[in-house]
Amino acid sequence: MILLDRVSKKYDKDTKPALDRISLHVEPNEFVIIVGTSGAGKSTLLKLLTREEKPTTGKIVVGGIDYDTLKDKHIPLLRRKIGVVFQDFKLLPQRTVFENIAFALEIAGMSNREIRNTVPKVIELVGLQGKEKQFPHQLSGGEQQRVAIARAVVRQPKILIADEPTGNLDPKHSWDIVRLLEKINRYGTTVLLTTHNVEIVNRLKRRVITIDHGKITHDQARGSYRQ
Amino acid sequence: MSRNKDTARALIQQKRRRRQWLTFLRVCRYGLSNFRRNAWLTVAATLVMTITLLIIFATFVAQQALRDTASTIGKELDRSIYLKSGTTEAQAKPVMVALQRLSNVERVSFISTDDGKNNFARDNKNDDARLRALTEASNRLPATIRIYLYDTSDTSELVEFVNTNTTLKKLISTQPGQTPTFMGERGLPTDVIASWTQTAQKIGVAATALFVAVSFLIIFNTIRMAIFNRRDEIEMMKLIGANKEFIRGPFLIEAIVYGVIAAVIATGIGLVTLLLMSERLQAWGVTIQPTIQFLTGYLWLVVLVMMMIGSVIGVVSSLLATRRYLKI
Repeated sequence: MILLDRVSKKYDKDTKPALDRISLHVEPNEFVIIVGTSGAGKSTLLKLLTREEKPTTGKIVVGGIDYDTLKDKHIPLLRRKIGVVFQDFKLLPQRTVFENIAFALEIAGMSNREIRNTVPKVIELVGLQGKEKQFPHQLSGGEQQRVAIARAVVRQPKILIADEPTGNLDPKHSWDIVRLLEKINRYGTTVLLTTHNVEIVNRLKRRVITIDHGKITHDQARGSYRQ
Repeated sequence: MSRNKDTARALIQQKRRRRQWLTFLRVCRYGLSNFRRNAWLTVAATLVMTITLLIIFATFVAQQALRDTASTIGKELDRSIYLKSGTTEAQAKPVMVALQRLSNVERVSFISTDDGKNNFARDNKNDDARLRALTEASNRLPATIRIYLYDTSDTSELVEFVNTNTTLKKLISTQPGQTPTFMGERGLPTDVIASWTQTAQKIGVAATALFVAVSFLIIFNTIRMAIFNRRDEIEMMKLIGANKEFIRGPFLIEAIVYGVIAAVIATGIGLVTLLLMSERLQAWGVTIQPTIQFLTGYLWLVVLVMMMIGSVIGVVSSLLATRRYLKI
């Protein structure tokens, strides 16, 4: 599903590379946790996958799409196949829960009828029934992140990238979000989760990739958090 | 088989067109909602656009009014050739016939010395000093040929006639101050009116250019601020797969809305002001009625043109701002 072959990323000629010749292979339907200290290269890795950044060297293939041959005008189409969840939710503050989720379908040109059929199912999946007409500021942090996840998965992407989704949440809500991600993974979506939360990493018993100074230092099938 | 393929292709095309139409409608909706969301920015941008369009409107009205006024005055203008005192109409006839043949001459009339004296007395009946001067003057009034032209600004033909016609040369007055004149009775030479019109046009064009530039800058900055305010939102839109048109479109719609609203306000204010001032303008000798008739008769067209001007200003400045600041 995701293939990185000796990928390096250097932002500046004179500084150290943010990612240094990393190779990675993620199978379909895997749940992968990426850990590392701040500045280790986690965010750069995710930015390469969403094509916000181009690698300096190396090859990236995601869902059968070779990024070397990907034209700029096709980047939006690629991004519609990858769901992204952010630490700060990035919801549209002036739009309701329903509208925020529908937005992901509107940009893809889906009809209003399709939207009316699809969005309620996703709202049910993330457990936000009854909150469709509320605005983000009327929701708790955990609920806002659920809306963000619903928006990310409403187009049924093959891959879901969750960049520190629990970073702004208390332990209870953090676990709710992680359980939701597991549920989405069970439905067949490959999940890439970056986190600093030791407890989540240790209790999930999933594949853990540790990045340090731009290199993959550990890749464990059922790993735990390493400092 | 091939028929099935054609049907499938037609269906795909139909679906694509429906999606494009849906996307366009959604972009319009987001543009309108952005317009409502940024109340103060919106008010500022619409206001500047209104002032710009008002200046364009005023420039147009002023030019039309000047042209009409110049034309009205021009019709009342005549040109005079002074003949020796006592010249009779019969003596002047050959010259008048020749003048009448000139292509730019509408009509020619003759004023004898006596008629001229009577006219002078009539025009100055309340001015004793002038009347006394008329009776006491040693030099007698000349006879006059009055020439009315079609194109009042073109006197070249007439000048050439005066300089070359031999019959006229024998009749023409040699008295000082009685050389042929190309000024009208009001003493307003046509070239003065033409120069007024040109100056007014230049001022109008300069004011319009200045305000269009100011309007461009303000709308450019408004959109830039809107982009800055919504950078997180734009970032999110990009990451969930919105394409350029979907992100830029609402900003363009927003700018078009500024233009459309400003056009309606500017036309309204401009027209009402013009109607309120029309009597006073007419009292000042400005020919304003044809302009008012045109504006009210083609009101929908005027509003449409103003909307188009406003929209073009909005779209160009918005395009520049989104190109420059919206890195997609």
